[in-house]
Amino acid sequence: MAESKLTPNPSGGQESVPPWRDIRIIGIFAQIAFVVLVIMGAMWLLGNVTDNLGRLGGFRCPDGTSSFSCGYNFLKVDSQFDISESVIDYDPSDTYGRALLVGLMNTIKVGVLGIIFATILGVLAGIARLSDNWLVSKATGWYIDLMRNTPLLLQLFFIYFGVILLFPPIRDAIQLGDLPVYLSQRGINMPGPVFLPSFATWLAFVVAGIILAFVIWILLGRREERVGKASNRAFWVVFGFFTVSIIGWFVASNSNKLDQSFMIAKSERILAFTDLADNMERRLGAANLNEIDLMVEEGELTSEEVDEAAYTLCVISESASEVNFTAELRRLNIPYTVNRSTRPDQATAKYAAGECEIYVADTVILTGERPLLEDPFAQAIVPTLERPVRISIPEIEGLNFVGGIKISPNFAALLIGLVLFTGAYIAEIVRAGIQSVSKGQSEAARALGLSESQRLRLVVLPQAMRVIIPPLTSQYLNLVKNSSLAIAVGYPDLFAVAFTTLNQSGQAIQVFLMVMAAYLTLSLSISALLNWYNKRIALVER
Amino acid sequence: MTVTLPATDYSKIISCHNVNKWYGDFHVLKGIDLEVSSGEVIVILGPSGSGKSTFIRCINRLEEHQEGDIIVDGITLSHDVRNIAEIRREVGMVFQQFNLFPHLTVMENVTLAPIHVRKWSREHAEEVAMKWLTRVGIPEQAQKYPGQLSGGQQQRVAIARTLAMEPKILLFDEPTSALDPEMIKEVLDVMRDLAHEGYTILAVTHEMGFARTVADRVIFMDGGVIVEENEPLPFFNDPQHERTKLFLSQILNH
Amino acid sequence: MQSTTSRFGGSAFRNLNLRRYWLDNVRRSWLQTIWLLILLLVTIWFAIGQLQEHFASTIIIFVVWAASVIWTAVSDVRRSHRPMTLWLKTNLYGSLSNVVLSLLLALILAFIIIGFFDWAVVRASFSTNPTVSKIQLERKSVDGKEGAAWGAVIDNFRNLMVFRWPTDQDWRLFAILLWNVILLIPSLYVFRKEVFRRSRIRRVLTTLWILTPFVVFFLLRGFKSDGLFGFLAGPIPYLNPDIAWGGLLLTLIIAVFAIVASFPLGLLLALGRRSKITGIPAWLTYGALGLIALYFFVTRSIPALAEAQTTGAQLIALWPLLLLLIAYLFQRYYQGNVVALASTVYIEVIRGVPLITVLFMSIILFPILLPPGTEILSTWRVMVAAALFAAAYLAENVRGGLQSLNKGQYEAADAVGLNTYKKYRLIVLPQALRAVIPAIVGQFISLFKDTTLVAIVGLIELLGVANLISAQPDWLGVRRAPYVFIAVIYFVGSALMAWYSRRLERRMGVGER
Ligand SMILES: Nc1ncnc2c1ncn2[C@@H]1O[C@H](COP(=O)(O)OP(=O)(O)OP(=O)(O)O)[C@@H](O)[C@H]1O
Ligand SMILES: [Mg+2]
Repeated sequence: MAESKLTPNPSGGQESVPPWRDIRIIGIFAQIAFVVLVIMGAMWLLGNVTDNLGRLGGFRCPDGTSSFSCGYNFLKVDSQFDISESVIDYDPSDTYGRALLVGLMNTIKVGVLGIIFATILGVLAGIARLSDNWLVSKATGWYIDLMRNTPLLLQLFFIYFGVILLFPPIRDAIQLGDLPVYLSQRGINMPGPVFLPSFATWLAFVVAGIILAFVIWILLGRREERVGKASNRAFWVVFGFFTVSIIGWFVASNSNKLDQSFMIAKSERILAFTDLADNMERRLGAANLNEIDLMVEEGELTSEEVDEAAYTLCVISESASEVNFTAELRRLNIPYTVNRSTRPDQATAKYAAGECEIYVADTVILTGERPLLEDPFAQAIVPTLERPVRISIPEIEGLNFVGGIKISPNFAALLIGLVLFTGAYIAEIVRAGIQSVSKGQSEAARALGLSESQRLRLVVLPQAMRVIIPPLTSQYLNLVKNSSLAIAVGYPDLFAVAFTTLNQSGQAIQVFLMVMAAYLTLSLSISALLNWYNKRIALVER
Repeated sequence: MTVTLPATDYSKIISCHNVNKWYGDFHVLKGIDLEVSSGEVIVILGPSGSGKSTFIRCINRLEEHQEGDIIVDGITLSHDVRNIAEIRREVGMVFQQFNLFPHLTVMENVTLAPIHVRKWSREHAEEVAMKWLTRVGIPEQAQKYPGQLSGGQQQRVAIARTLAMEPKILLFDEPTSALDPEMIKEVLDVMRDLAHEGYTILAVTHEMGFARTVADRVIFMDGGVIVEENEPLPFFNDPQHERTKLFLSQILNH
Repeated sequence: MQSTTSRFGGSAFRNLNLRRYWLDNVRRSWLQTIWLLILLLVTIWFAIGQLQEHFASTIIIFVVWAASVIWTAVSDVRRSHRPMTLWLKTNLYGSLSNVVLSLLLALILAFIIIGFFDWAVVRASFSTNPTVSKIQLERKSVDGKEGAAWGAVIDNFRNLMVFRWPTDQDWRLFAILLWNVILLIPSLYVFRKEVFRRSRIRRVLTTLWILTPFVVFFLLRGFKSDGLFGFLAGPIPYLNPDIAWGGLLLTLIIAVFAIVASFPLGLLLALGRRSKITGIPAWLTYGALGLIALYFFVTRSIPALAEAQTTGAQLIALWPLLLLLIAYLFQRYYQGNVVALASTVYIEVIRGVPLITVLFMSIILFPILLPPGTEILSTWRVMVAAALFAAAYLAENVRGGLQSLNKGQYEAADAVGLNTYKKYRLIVLPQALRAVIPAIVGQFISLFKDTTLVAIVGLIELLGVANLISAQPDWLGVRRAPYVFIAVIYFVGSALMAWYSRRLERRMGVGER
């Protein structure tokens, strides 16, 4: 029925139109001709591909035949190349498939971080561009112009080759102010959080805190509506959240008491962590460990004596236990030196050989290792206080940094480049968005007696958002696409890994198809997400 | 190519039989029947949304009708590309929003179709164009751009543009609704002259004066059907249908 | 801008209300207080650092700042502003935080400018002799920070501009420049003046402009002696583009070619995406795809289903059913219009992937996709890829222009009897394209910048040359100076074009209304 309305019989069917003059038939034939052309083009290409690959040996099946369906078998073959950094575990004996996955994760990593930082930078710069301070506005304008008028790749090369690689070697690393942030040829080292097992418990509390905050927000909102009086909603929300989180912190610290411990000879008579401090006081003959520095200054102690007395620790490199334990030692001002091993058995061997007095590790490892010692019953395992999160601070040890977060020079160059570049574009978008909200709106808001923050939050931003979101979406897409320039600075993103894969496996077509599919998927997900958000705020409008 | 024509009265320059049109599920034209003789002036009235524009746009195939026949000057409107081209040559249309081409001068606007459709030489086309521009009273504006003219002048250029193609039939879709009162007269005067010259005219307009004095027939449409059609005098003085009465009382008393 | 005298007369300091100022500028909200505090701390910290580094300039900035603040404050209190102080008040010292912020920013800018100046001039060496340059740089360096080795840029200037273009053929480049300049100067006049519409001179110029790409191409590439125009091979010998084209020359060639060559395809794609041609009827779509689906279902799915062990494998084996879904979606969203579908898919796929993948594809996949034995220079491949890439973006720009056009224009063109081709050529495209000229200039700018990417696939354009300089034994590791130099080229080029585009936009905006 509906069909007949849309394509009805022409004019009652009384006269016949010759088909070559009937506009509809011409259209359909054009369409079919187009399809045929496209198919013929595709066949021609496909033919060439089979010819070429016949020579090069692609699409080979295990049984010796050749078929398109076997084209992806190479994904299960060992990659045999290394990837310099990876979010998930990877080594050359993993498959090409996993290598590509590592690349994808790296792309997502730089994409997500890039989007977050570029947004922050862009919003700040956009607001600064509108600042009533002439210098601020001009300087931001120069920054934006500089970024927008020079190629991104040039900026990346400049940052990577012209700045980061010209940083001094590690031993002369530049320290930023007095902060524990170091710049060197090997990238950026800065403090970072280390999560201990009890973090899970704490996280549960934090989530509960967030939920509670939401509940408070909604309940108080309802009450406000009912009573018709404003209450201090923001305060109670923050208060609720922090109370739960802080309680959670202590609960988590105490509930996982047995996770972390250290091993020490029973002869030392150390039964609890605090005994370490008392023991040290005895060794140094000091009444209070906080006075060590003072005593050294006044000559009551020599620094050699302190070094002599310091505890020697055997630890496993990059373990949370070390960070946790040393943080606690530092808090009590107990001197110590660290002896690192990569694997528990090495640490055990060193401990057995007497290279250190204290063996720090997870309780599980210690209980497992103790029976291997010559004299297991002479060793005490003492539990240590554990905090859900410890901040680990980078320190130079020999030719390397220990602790903290390491950011490779490649990643740093790419991220900084993308953020600076995209930030400039976002700044322009934000500026245009805010300016698009007419002055009348602000004046109306002021006339209604809204405060400045209310004006921004309730009147200007919601309207500016509608103007900002669509171009912002395309900037986010650009950022993700531009991250493929990683190959120029040696960061192993999806494209770089795919390129290596392609060179090694020779499976050009499949690799390109996969890479394109991956980028398309990323692009589509970002657009879908932001379109959804845009629809939501557009609906609020109505 | 001969086309078998349905048995129609050949003295009628436009004949519509049971014309139906849908926009999706919305039935806009519900079986319109209309015969127009050569040289007749017809004014179409009706409330907003009644399908007046849609109907006259079907006559030069700007819109496609889906059922029924429309025969214009012996040519049946169908999916035949040649027929469509022919009909557009015979039927001129003047729009409410003028729709002049802003990137072309007035002269170019008027000569465009004669040169490219009728294949006249530029000199001849410009000669004819000048004649028409003089007729509508704006020969001195020929080298200006539409954006530099007043609304009334623009509409007169649009009329000249239509006339330069020497059509037999003129369609007007509310040609004066976008104009200020003093400009309306300029345009109506031109239309009145054209009517007296023997053009076949179908005009959608709410200018009652024009309808009364110039029209040979007035048609009242509502809800996609022709509710009433009559000569102007009886139509205005003695409307037959309730709907017509209501419409007229609203229009005339405001 | 006139000085305002006190409205109340009397003592100049009557207006001084420190309490009000304090409340307004410091204590209005706790956020403001914290912001001010942080600002103060950062400023002091930075100022102290600068005082140690650049003592004199910091002191000067500080004194100027303090003096102007006091001057402004006094003028403000006395309500007798001069234009200068009024400007200072509204633009720099409007509030307490702005006073501090202005100082901080002035210090930071001074830091950047002095740093750059030190690097680019004071500690720099301009000697083209690598040994001298090295010695000079070392001698002038401060704390091991060396200046710019401009010698590397000067020494390689020709490389940066044209790379390996043979010197004895330079006249060809100048000829191209001359040709363009000679055409450009009268064009600027003729195309703007109404009198020249339809004049012969304008037609001649248009023809010459249309010929320009071919002239330029043959001057750049030359003629092969065995080709059609073999007799020209003597004066204008063939140059292999892969070798002879490089530096800024290659950058410009690729960018201009991409935008020019992408035009026809982009236009077709835009029109295709908007086309309203009668689609393939539903019965044909479902019939054809249904048959294909059936065929694959019988030949592929059934054997695969028999073999499949897991549910996942079973589901995958049912893939031919997806064809029916595609048929449905195709009819639902495109009403059977394959042209629109194909254009949309092309545009969206190209816009969804990075340029670098397209470039690499051109390098790696073209040989696989073409008949065995076809050899194509990488320059051509990259140029084609850039054009194919640009076409998708251009199509979207043009589509914007088409959408901006009033529906009445199409209808009027139909009503006066123009056929589809003439409707587009005479009415639609002239207006739509004019509306998108600024967008197209913008696209050209980004293309101009994106050309740097061909350095990654091995063509030696501007950035490629800069990278090569650092590998020259003479200038080993010299990177900053060449990078800054080409950054300046890009900056000036892009900024000029952007400025021109803005002017164009404004002029057209005025013309419309
Ligand atoms: N392209 C379209 N798609 C869907 N519906 C449409 C379209 N064009 C018109 N209509 C609907 O068809 C009906 C008739 O429209 P038409 O323009 O013919 O009315 P009209 O009588 O000319 O009214 P007016 O006096 O306001 O011009 C209206 O209800 C309108 O909403
Ligand atoms: Mg209408």
